[in-house]
Amino acid sequence: MSRAIRVEWWKLRRSRVVATATGLMGLLLPLMGLGFYSVALSGGTGPLAGKAGALLIGEGWEAYMGLVDQIAAVAIFLGAGVVVTWVFGREHADRTFPSLFALPVSRQRIAAAKVAVLAGWMIALSLLVTTVAVVVGLMAGIGPSPAEVVVPAALRLLMIAVLASVLSSPVAVVASIGRGYMPAFGFLILVVAMAQVAVLFGTGAWFPFAVPGLMAVTGSEGAPVVGPAQVALVPMVATAAVWLTLRWWRRAEVT
Amino acid sequence: MRPAGSPPLVTKDLVRRFGDEVAIDGLDIEVRRGEIHAVVGLNGAGKTTLMRLLLGMLRPDAGRAMVLGFDARHAPPQTWVEVGHLIETPFAYPELSVRSNIAASGLLHGVEGARLDEIVDRAVEEFGLGHWESKRADALSLGNRQRLGLASALVHQPSVLLLDEPANALDPAGVVFIRRMLETYVQRDAAILLSSHHLDHLARIADRITVLHRGRHVGSLDPSGVDLEGQFFDLVYESDLARGEPHR
Repeated sequence: MSRAIRVEWWKLRRSRVVATATGLMGLLLPLMGLGFYSVALSGGTGPLAGKAGALLIGEGWEAYMGLVDQIAAVAIFLGAGVVVTWVFGREHADRTFPSLFALPVSRQRIAAAKVAVLAGWMIALSLLVTTVAVVVGLMAGIGPSPAEVVVPAALRLLMIAVLASVLSSPVAVVASIGRGYMPAFGFLILVVAMAQVAVLFGTGAWFPFAVPGLMAVTGSEGAPVVGPAQVALVPMVATAAVWLTLRWWRRAEVT
Repeated sequence: MRPAGSPPLVTKDLVRRFGDEVAIDGLDIEVRRGEIHAVVGLNGAGKTTLMRLLLGMLRPDAGRAMVLGFDARHAPPQTWVEVGHLIETPFAYPELSVRSNIAASGLLHGVEGARLDEIVDRAVEEFGLGHWESKRADALSLGNRQRLGLASALVHQPSVLLLDEPANALDPAGVVFIRRMLETYVQRDAAILLSSHHLDHLARIADRITVLHRGRHVGSLDPSGVDLEGQFFDLVYESDLARGEPHR
């Protein structure tokens, strides 16, 4: 393991921000999905039951996992965005950024190590959310659980979780250039709002940040179809974000 | 290969501006091996900016800042194995223990993984951090955080040191500790650039004292001289008079 990756891993492992975000997303998302699913099937006439019912696509496992998908598409983008913000903004907020200069390990390598540990964390988070969602569904006894229904639903959630977390990578650029947390948080909120607008205007499938959300409602009436070309935009956005981030760290000054 | 012959730290006609403000104004300075070269000045005189330029944290607008014979902004990575610095905030990640912080700094400063434990043990002992080694850095007092910052900056036993106000937040015992530690580095032929506001402290340890004012070298103080404070203010005042600038 490279020196910089080892150091970044220590920091990530000990971080309360990361532990809280991981715990909240890993446990709360499936439980929220189950909660909405139960409310939708409760036969209630209140506004929450009506809303939850409108979000249901199909029935049984398909419906339950579909709800988790829809929550995960937004919540994981925001949650992963907070962690990315912390990883790339913390030296600015702590004012320890000068400590990363004048080292035999270049700042570009340090930034690359941050990207590497975040990539590992995003994959682990996606697997955690998917596993917990399946376990919660099994424990709650959501109808028959044939593998031909559960496995594709789990793979779709995994895909959505990975895409949503990867899409938070531009936050690294904003936290770096903005030298702290607040610009990055502003960017996260702006992107969620823009995704809503893009979907309303019917161009959502080509707006990369809307792709996980639209994948989550695939099959519902009137939902735009997200094809491979639109999905391919997501890794392109992430690659561009990583390139810009590394470039900024290589050229950065302490101001 | 490292260029030979020149002192480890050299600036030549160095200039750095921040907008209209000239932070460093044509500065020539050098720090030789086996000496402590102190820079003193009022707030905003350019002491920290000078160190940042020598550490590649800032690009000069003109002139050169050289470290071990290389342009600081483009020095080969291995150059920095020999350099240790503490500028402003100590290297102290709040979520890591004292021991992990020193180990992290050691890794980033090029300490071999196989020797890391041994080197960290030595630093913990040397900087008097044994009692706190398992505690998180955010549980430390300001003074102990400064000790941790110094231990992190010097864990790899560099031969070129740049320390900005190293005695910040330290108690009298800590100040004496710093003085003795720097003396051992000088005996090992290290080159040390130091800034401080405390003239009495500098008088005890510095070999040369350069006075900076408005980014310029306006004179030197003899560390063995008397009334250094009076001499310092005379130099500052004369500099302002000579340039027709209002004294501040």
